[in-house]
Amino acid sequence: MPELYLRLLDRVLTPILLVLAAYLFLRGHNEPGGGFIAGLAAASAIQLQILSLGDEPVRRRYARFLHPMAGLGLFIALLSAILGILRGGYFSSLWGKVQLGEVELELGTPLLFDLGVFLIVFSVIVSFLLALSRQDEGKTP
Amino acid sequence: MSGLTAAILVGALFATGAYLILRRDPIKLILGLTMVSYGVNVLLFTSSTLRKGIPPVIADKKTFTGDISQFVDPLPQALVLTAIVISFGIVAFLVVLVSRRNMLVEQYGKAPDAPTAINDPFGATAHYLSGLDADPDDYEWVDDTFREPAQSERS
Amino acid sequence: MHVDPNWLAAFIAAPGVAASLGLLFTGWGLRRSVAWQYRLALIGALINFAVSVPVLLVTQAGNRLVLQMGLYQAPFGITVIADALSGLMLFFTALVAVTTLIYARGTLDDRDRLNFYPLLLLLIMGVNGAFLTGDMFNLYVFFEVLLVGSFALLTLGGQIGQINGGIRYVLLNMLASTFFLAAAGVIYGTAGTLNMAQLAERLPQAPPSVQLLIAGLLMIAFSTKAGLFPLFFWLPASYHTAHPAVTALFGGLLTKLGVYTLFRIYPLLFPELLQEWQGFVFVVAALTMITGIFGAMAVNTMRRVLSFHIISQVGYMIMGLGLAATGNPAMATFGLAAGILYVVHQMLVKTAILMAGGAAELEAGSGSLLRERMMGLRQRAPALAVIFFIAAMSLAGLPPSSGFVSKLWLLQGAIDAGHWAIAAVSLIVSLFTLMSMLRIWQKAFWGYPKAEYQVPSPIATPSRQWLTLAPIAVLLAFSLWIGIFSGPALQWFDTAAAQALDRAGYIQAVSPTNTIEYLGGSYDAK
Repeated sequence: MPELYLRLLDRVLTPILLVLAAYLFLRGHNEPGGGFIAGLAAASAIQLQILSLGDEPVRRRYARFLHPMAGLGLFIALLSAILGILRGGYFSSLWGKVQLGEVELELGTPLLFDLGVFLIVFSVIVSFLLALSRQDEGKTP
Repeated sequence: MSGLTAAILVGALFATGAYLILRRDPIKLILGLTMVSYGVNVLLFTSSTLRKGIPPVIADKKTFTGDISQFVDPLPQALVLTAIVISFGIVAFLVVLVSRRNMLVEQYGKAPDAPTAINDPFGATAHYLSGLDADPDDYEWVDDTFREPAQSERS
Repeated sequence: MHVDPNWLAAFIAAPGVAASLGLLFTGWGLRRSVAWQYRLALIGALINFAVSVPVLLVTQAGNRLVLQMGLYQAPFGITVIADALSGLMLFFTALVAVTTLIYARGTLDDRDRLNFYPLLLLLIMGVNGAFLTGDMFNLYVFFEVLLVGSFALLTLGGQIGQINGGIRYVLLNMLASTFFLAAAGVIYGTAGTLNMAQLAERLPQAPPSVQLLIAGLLMIAFSTKAGLFPLFFWLPASYHTAHPAVTALFGGLLTKLGVYTLFRIYPLLFPELLQEWQGFVFVVAALTMITGIFGAMAVNTMRRVLSFHIISQVGYMIMGLGLAATGNPAMATFGLAAGILYVVHQMLVKTAILMAGGAAELEAGSGSLLRERMMGLRQRAPALAVIFFIAAMSLAGLPPSSGFVSKLWLLQGAIDAGHWAIAAVSLIVSLFTLMSMLRIWQKAFWGYPKAEYQVPSPIATPSRQWLTLAPIAVLLAFSLWIGIFSGPALQWFDTAAAQALDRAGYIQAVSPTNTIEYLGGSYDAK
């Protein structure tokens, strides 16, 4: 049953949670944070949508992306490990600097790996959440 | 956290977990599994020296002289993190399995004509059998090991 | 011949990349997605196989391939090491992977195939990693990788029997992993390292009580995975519920991985303790054989009988470990080589017979041995009957198959060392195995088909017949090859056993450093 207040909250909170996820993800570069925790935060945004809209609309919206997303995440994570061979060994990290106007960003394969982790965690958790929140659960057909 | 506290904690978590796993209710079973894996996580955590308030990283590379008492061993923390992630994933999977099982049981009961023939795992040949009588021995493992909680327990 | 150690990463990268790309191809329409997943998976498995051949040859020449991940010196990074034992396991795992993929293409129903192939490759990735790793915690991680893959494969059909079996499987394997993790914690607390080569140096110096604790915890973990008495009960409760291709893969690889870890860890880390435990190992082996075979005789559906046979056969492998637990190096090598040969024989034949049994169940629409549902399969599917017969005879240990050679070798080892009791038990259990196989033959293949039980077979079309039967034939051809040309083949297992028992060589190949270098300064750890 869709809930009015939850819907309002969802409007407000989903963007905040997604921004929080992005923040945690980038912060994981040097400080506590990272792909796993960011994936959980982003998945909690989806759980909020499941609670407010019911699981069926959410499933219709996201379900077909989940498996490809997990595949992409796994691919990126493996790629970041394989790319290390350019420096002589698997899993050794490559670093490069990117100039964005005033800001200088230090980007490397660990970030790529984190991105893979984020995608896998997000898609797997969301598919678990969708599996657990079936509306027809407990009803006899 | 001193070593003794940790030891008692590990023991308590293991004992609770073992007790809960031996229950027949799937939910208690999952809780028990979680308890046991928490116990192991604490055990892993104590595998290096426990020091209070010291980070697992070297605070300042320039002044570091090689004195290992300036930081704690980061490896057990990495191990605990990995173990938490893995047990989290598996417990989540188990929760999905149990909920799906409950759904199927409520939908079909345990009648042998449910599309659950054990030798016919993917339902690939279920429709071939429909006209025939079902063999009891084909269904002997659709059993009640994980029985539904009785009415009195449920409340 | 020289092989760059960097190729070892292909064992993890090839299945992993193929699986991830396969997952990317979902949501394209079922049939097309599945076709692409299958193609990608086949490519990944073939690359894996292609790499395993030179690795097998190079390790057989007496080399160890060592790769340090991330260019970190041995105890700080993760070491990946392939010696002759790993090389053999990797080669036959790759073979089983390719054949299972093709068999699955023949037997799986279209709607059940989605994500089957990527999951299978994830499982192979985990198995390969566990064979390769030289690090205790990494071994745990790869165990979990393959377990996650296997959980998903086991319950892919979503039937209630599968879910019930899946819950048991997940629960008990998770508990075993927990014990493994606890052991890893105690190991790190004791030795200050998780690198196996360094542990081989340090653990034998640990106090005996701590050694006993670690060895015991690891024993519980690995014997659950291997399906040893009395920790096997998750296996017959779950294996037969899955799709035939999944059962075949599990039966061929998972318990054997548990046995491999026993073969790897105990001679390497606990050489003295293993010798003390010889009697215990023999008792466990005998009880595993006996309970397995009695279980097989008590159940009445095809794949459940075969699942119990998995357990009884694991007993023989552990008998090989028991024979290796002696101070006499020649005898230890001989016994371990027999055990490794038995593992390989089982990887081939167990996969083949589970495939054939599964195909028979699909053909007959039932696996019941009590009723007359399966009667007369020899007439309905003569090629399948021939293949099943060869596999059954190999499993029972009749010449000229690998089963005969491996049992003969084990017996010879046991009698040479004077272990009469275990030799007698293994002979009697062989006899019962033959009886059990004949029972299946009589109830399922012999006789005349009953008209009222005729069902249209889902694997009747010629292309499906080929895809189903050809992989089984390939596996059996390898089994017969080991049986007939046993001389050169046995050389392989001797080399593998000699390398597995050569602790100094293993430590030297990894050469872990005991000194931590940091920012120019260095100091001795522990």
